[in-house]
Amino acid sequence: MKREVVIGLEIHLQLKTRTKLFCSCSTDYIGATPNTNVCPVCLAVPGTLPVINDLAVDLAVKMGLGLHCDIQDGTRFHRKHYFYADLPKAYQITQYEHAIAQGGYLDIIAEGKKKRVHLDHLHLEEDAGKLVHPTADGRLSGAAYSLVDYNRGGMPLSEIVSRPEMNSPAEALAYIAQIRQLARYLDVSDGEMESGSLRVDVNVSLSNPDGSLGTRVELKNINSLRSIGRALEYEIARQNRVLDEGGELEQETRLWDDAAGVTRSMRSKEGARDYRYYVEMDLAPIDAKPDYVRRIRESLPEMPWDKRDRFVSEYGLSLEESQQITEQREVADYYEEIVKAGAPAAKAANWMRTEVQRILRDDALDITEFPISARRLGELISKVEKKELSNTQAKDVLAAMYGEKLSLEEAMKKCGASGEKMTGGALEAVVEKVFASQPEAVDAIKKGADKKGAKVKFLQGLVMRETRGSADPAEVARTVAELLK
Amino acid sequence: MELLGLSAREIAAGVKAKKFTAEEAVRASIERIKRYDKKYNAIVALCEEEAVASAKRVDEAVARGEEPGALCGVPYVVKDNFCTKGIVTTCCSKMLKGWVPNYDATAVEKMKEAGAVLIGKANMDEFAMGSTTESSIFGATLNPRDRTRVPGGSSGGSAAAVAAGYVPVALGSDTGGSVRQPAAFCGVQGMKPSYGQISRYGIVAYASSLDQVGPLAANVGDLALLMDVLAKGDPNDTTCDAYERPSFTGAAAKASLAGKRVALLTGYDRGSLDAPLSAAIDRAVEICRAEGASIIDVKLPITMEHSVACYYMVALGDASSKLACYDGMRYGHHADGRNLSEMYKKSRMEGFGEEVRKRILVGTCILTRGYYENYFVPAMKVRQLISDEFKNLFEEADMLICPISPALAYKRGLGEKDPVRMYLGDVFTTIANLAGLPSVSLNLGFTAEGLPTNVQLLAPRFGDDGLLCCAAAIERAAGAPHIAELTEDD
Repeated sequence: MKREVVIGLEIHLQLKTRTKLFCSCSTDYIGATPNTNVCPVCLAVPGTLPVINDLAVDLAVKMGLGLHCDIQDGTRFHRKHYFYADLPKAYQITQYEHAIAQGGYLDIIAEGKKKRVHLDHLHLEEDAGKLVHPTADGRLSGAAYSLVDYNRGGMPLSEIVSRPEMNSPAEALAYIAQIRQLARYLDVSDGEMESGSLRVDVNVSLSNPDGSLGTRVELKNINSLRSIGRALEYEIARQNRVLDEGGELEQETRLWDDAAGVTRSMRSKEGARDYRYYVEMDLAPIDAKPDYVRRIRESLPEMPWDKRDRFVSEYGLSLEESQQITEQREVADYYEEIVKAGAPAAKAANWMRTEVQRILRDDALDITEFPISARRLGELISKVEKKELSNTQAKDVLAAMYGEKLSLEEAMKKCGASGEKMTGGALEAVVEKVFASQPEAVDAIKKGADKKGAKVKFLQGLVMRETRGSADPAEVARTVAELLK
Repeated sequence: MELLGLSAREIAAGVKAKKFTAEEAVRASIERIKRYDKKYNAIVALCEEEAVASAKRVDEAVARGEEPGALCGVPYVVKDNFCTKGIVTTCCSKMLKGWVPNYDATAVEKMKEAGAVLIGKANMDEFAMGSTTESSIFGATLNPRDRTRVPGGSSGGSAAAVAAGYVPVALGSDTGGSVRQPAAFCGVQGMKPSYGQISRYGIVAYASSLDQVGPLAANVGDLALLMDVLAKGDPNDTTCDAYERPSFTGAAAKASLAGKRVALLTGYDRGSLDAPLSAAIDRAVEICRAEGASIIDVKLPITMEHSVACYYMVALGDASSKLACYDGMRYGHHADGRNLSEMYKKSRMEGFGEEVRKRILVGTCILTRGYYENYFVPAMKVRQLISDEFKNLFEEADMLICPISPALAYKRGLGEKDPVRMYLGDVFTTIANLAGLPSVSLNLGFTAEGLPTNVQLLAPRFGDDGLLCCAAAIERAAGAPHIAELTEDD
């Protein structure tokens, strides 16, 4: 019996602000000494009150608009209560019934197919602090004590909640990648899973035979795209197995154990907390009047999917090429500058995807750190197009420009590709040099043993290579023949 | 020069005119506290050194000819739930015993900027929960007008300090009448401004949507002066309105009722009031009429029927939330436990007193799923209906007169014997907090036994200036209360 996989995702994006959501503490907590980025407000010292960070609201609205959500005016915060050591107020300030952005959707491409995933909402909330357990594996069990670091407490997050509309791990991964790309395009978040600025909770269930939704299991604690794929595969197989054996699934939260490659039960529905949501009376409702929303909308850059489609229609790239080049906004911008500098679009795309990508990958560079300007690279590529340089020469020139920090002209001279033809004495010198390196071939020809002329051709080829194609083949043949006499 | 009994305005003027120094004013205040407060217990922390040092700074500024503030050299006390930098702030609870904040509440900062000198922290009901100032870990405060009676609560210490003549002005906080009821019981003037008028930053919260800082003084003019100093927008409190305030002292100086439409609350059993309080209402109405106001009778059926129940739903739900931060982790009372959960339970069980624990438990229950929908959500709707009822009322009237409390100052120990009667005593005060309205408790003289009588005046939201204008006119006709005669003997 085929059961359909149903996946819903909750993505926490850490918003790119300089200060926390409700106070002016720095958000630059990675590597900071524990409990140094804290103040009376984020430590919930009696008498303190939260004050909303307007930039965080702007960024949440930006992301919401990118996701085609409706931005709500007069939205409020709620307090979500629970006692835990990393939560100083014993409640988290979050949005509950009145999220700032409602509805919306995201189009993804998974396994070659386009699909629209609808969203439930996007809301703002503060992060909790972090517990540090002094055990070898960093886990709570077995720890004699635990330490609390409140540096992360109060960091601004936006939580994007999808409807349960993804039907395979591939779709889930494509969705996450698309959200991350959008967040980076809008400069709303770094979207890095490794540093925790993008975190994903996964809800997965298998549909019942009648098509209704089955028992839902929540997976937490997954730290990379690869792990999410693995966790989903494991959990889908587990649920299928339980159902195949006639068992029943429990509505529960499970943790992904990456090392063991399994999910483990964390708490069941019975153990679910009653958070006692309550309106946050210390904060006035958020003003998101139409004028304000319009201003933010007007500030939005071209969306990544629009750019991708435009590159296909405007530059004639394949969807795959375009996807690769528009993956990062800065790469796409760089590409467009190359084209503007005169390089043909198809050739430029090829260069971006091969030569430039190779250097970036090998040296772990970001395009913004790439030292060769798009204009110069554009000129180089157009020289190939105008046949002033061969492809091989051009690659050498690029390597010299990058490796030895030479200008385009210097690099061309260095590679003997300055565009001047090699003739006369210079060419003779090269021929002499080649002869000197191939005494047997020269000897054989002189003895008349090169009946078919293969050895002469071989020497001519070597000369051509040595001159990097800057000599006229006819003159090379003539010079070789003369000097063999 | 006899400084006892001078108003804040007289002291500030005297210091400015160099008739006496701020140091003299402050020392007079401290001496009176030292002499009498062993008996009355209104002050839980006296900061003599800091006060004298601040007074000297004020005197130096005056000597240099600098522009002194409106409260230059005026000694005052604050309720112990105002954060005071470097000075213990305990909310009169074991939970915060010995806690010293590293920042000043905005209200305290504003007082400092105006040149006022903080003398000490005033006694209160633990975490501002109570109507008698008997639940403090420092022991009960006695009413300076009659030591067998309570000073009211929860700002009982602040009210008693003004009535006892320790200081001309004091600050309290009012969540459901906590400034006005003790002002009434102690025979001084007290005010709860409109919600959003004064910053709550640095006031240890009881209930965010109800709490408001309130001034206490011996006369309406000083209330207005404190309002001028305190009522300002504050970037640290987004619920504190940023609008440009009118001059409250200017409004009080006008002291006029001419042409005012005054509503008299009816529709409740006047006979249930203590007779002198009913008489005080009649007197206030007579004064209004004599001063040229027109009087109309009004009823507030929804408000009178539901305000107490609604108030306790809103306040306790909020309190359970705001008091959750006292978990023994970062400050305050800490008890060890075998695990996190036990640590929380023990810390909170030991740290909070009985009344606070009771209110947290009820509040937690109110916010729990099921109860929330059946109790809290309806309470919020009723709150809106109460606001609407007032909105309609204030289309016909500029001011409302009603009682503060149905009873004169209680005998000590009532809270334990009859808590429900004590809660019901809040019926007339909680309405101002639920609807966010400004309200003044105005003294209308004393009974033959020397117990203060009073009325409550209410006005539309942000109509604080108009309210002070009317209150000053009634006070002019009725006379401002004098400070109590204290005794050192038992």
